[in-house]
Amino acid sequence: MDVAPPPGPSAAEPSDAPLPEGLSLDDLRLETEGARPTTSQRTADPHPHGELPRHSELHAEHRPHHAPTFEEFVTGWELGIYRDPVLCAVLAGVALGMLGVFVVLRRAVFVTAAISQAAGLGVALAFLIAGSASAAAPLAGALLLALVASSSLALPAARLRVPREGLLGFAFLASSAGALLVGDRIAAESHDVAAILFGTAVLVRPLDLWLVASAAVLSVVLIGVGHRGLTFVGFDPEGARVQGLPVLTISLVFWCVLALMVAVSTRALGSLPVFALAVLPGMAALSLVEGMKPALLLSGVLGGAVGGLGYLFAFRYEFPVGASQAALCAAVFAVCLLVAWVRRR
Amino acid sequence: MLEPFATMSDEAAWLMSCRELVVGHAGHGLLPPLNLELCPGQLWAVIGKNGSGKTTLLRTLLGMLRPVAGEVVRRPGVRVSYLPQRTTVDDLYPLRARDVVMMGCARGARGILAGRGWGAAADAALAEVQLEGVGPKPFRKLSEGQKQRVLFARLLASEAQIGFLDEPTSAMDQRAQREGLGLLRRLCERRGLCLVVVSHYLGLAEELADRVLWVDRDGPRAESGSPAEVLGAMRASGEAGWM
Repeated sequence: MDVAPPPGPSAAEPSDAPLPEGLSLDDLRLETEGARPTTSQRTADPHPHGELPRHSELHAEHRPHHAPTFEEFVTGWELGIYRDPVLCAVLAGVALGMLGVFVVLRRAVFVTAAISQAAGLGVALAFLIAGSASAAAPLAGALLLALVASSSLALPAARLRVPREGLLGFAFLASSAGALLVGDRIAAESHDVAAILFGTAVLVRPLDLWLVASAAVLSVVLIGVGHRGLTFVGFDPEGARVQGLPVLTISLVFWCVLALMVAVSTRALGSLPVFALAVLPGMAALSLVEGMKPALLLSGVLGGAVGGLGYLFAFRYEFPVGASQAALCAAVFAVCLLVAWVRRR
Repeated sequence: MLEPFATMSDEAAWLMSCRELVVGHAGHGLLPPLNLELCPGQLWAVIGKNGSGKTTLLRTLLGMLRPVAGEVVRRPGVRVSYLPQRTTVDDLYPLRARDVVMMGCARGARGILAGRGWGAAADAALAEVQLEGVGPKPFRKLSEGQKQRVLFARLLASEAQIGFLDEPTSAMDQRAQREGLGLLRRLCERRGLCLVVVSHYLGLAEELADRVLWVDRDGPRAESGSPAEVLGAMRASGEAGWM
């Protein structure tokens, strides 16, 4: 997979920032690797496609292995290595968290799963068709398939004699199976595809950060400007329609923006954390607060915090990033549920 | 004598008029042709057993369904609002009572954005339904009676001239039903509102409504008139037993 150099100073562009003892710029080169990285897993050409390392792989090759420290994280941040992925996760968390409130309220949690999985299939198909030469193809594939999955909401489920959640289940399963099958045929990029599907990516390209930031701004503006309309349309669609609100247009714009946000975030972070960020912060906020504005703000804050802290957690304990973010989302939701339960007693 | 398709008032007064209106689905009419005129200050009770075509009629009057035949004419500029059955309003939303009332102020594409004065209009509407101080409270934590009053306040905040209400008191006990419908009657008189209320509560038709429309797709029949006329006809035909 074609990869731009990591943000900030790279191996080709030496930095003035000091490196930790025993750490050379060569050590900061990027690679793709499997489940639990160790220094022994490094190969002679460790990064044929140039990305998706574990945090531990960013440390010195010849040092004895030790748990990464906060100082190392700060150094990596100053070098720009960790800044972009953390920013990307925070921005995606804020936007998905806010959108997720409406996803949960519309009882469309599984829509996000289907869209993110479809976006993953789009990325895999892009690799299969365009190879690793095109940087834009994976994004285009993710966006296209995300929009196709979103449009499944518009199918006349009743006429097809299947429940709407059945259609979403179909989209989810077909996308998941398709992505794995396609991934099997593109062995060269299989790690990349797996990273996109399950969120093991540590590094984020500048293009991905830019796209996530743009989509996040669009999402937050949409919610900031139109949250009253979105709320009315979801709370009482028929009443809203009688009062002349463009119910279909509002819903269509919402699902398209969600599909865009999910597509670009899936490309950057992976489908598992994207699904988690789009559902769990919203559920946590709804369990804790009254009022739409407080719920939207809290969900955005929780999403952003979990996105960033999940990355730190993965760094500190050498876990996969996407799984760490998703697990932290789940933990936050569980704590919020507990707090809400205690408060009600 | 009942007029099956009665004209209710003089030509100049109506807000909405149905002319030879046939309601139904997929080109199949459910009820006989209907001629009605909805006028300011009237409280209409639409009654009929389950599956009799009440909701289809309501949705056609609201423009959600196309008429099978005939037409629904709305006087230009007339504002219409609709309160669905309480059970269809989603309690998962963490809305405050004031937020729900403010929804009444949203109208047209601009309704997506909050307008100036919505908060004051919501507070005034809440006061009119005797719910001062309830605005900041979570809607989902109110009693059924209070929730229904909040929805009535939403109707008032919308400044609609015609309000359609689908079984507004179905989740209440009989006393609360009577109080809720009595409040609607007073709002109707005070504001000059025309309200069309679908209800299973016979007391509405007997005591509070100005006009009653009885629909029954099995007949099929659609009869309108004064409460005494329509209820008398129902009893005479042995059809009042379901109420």
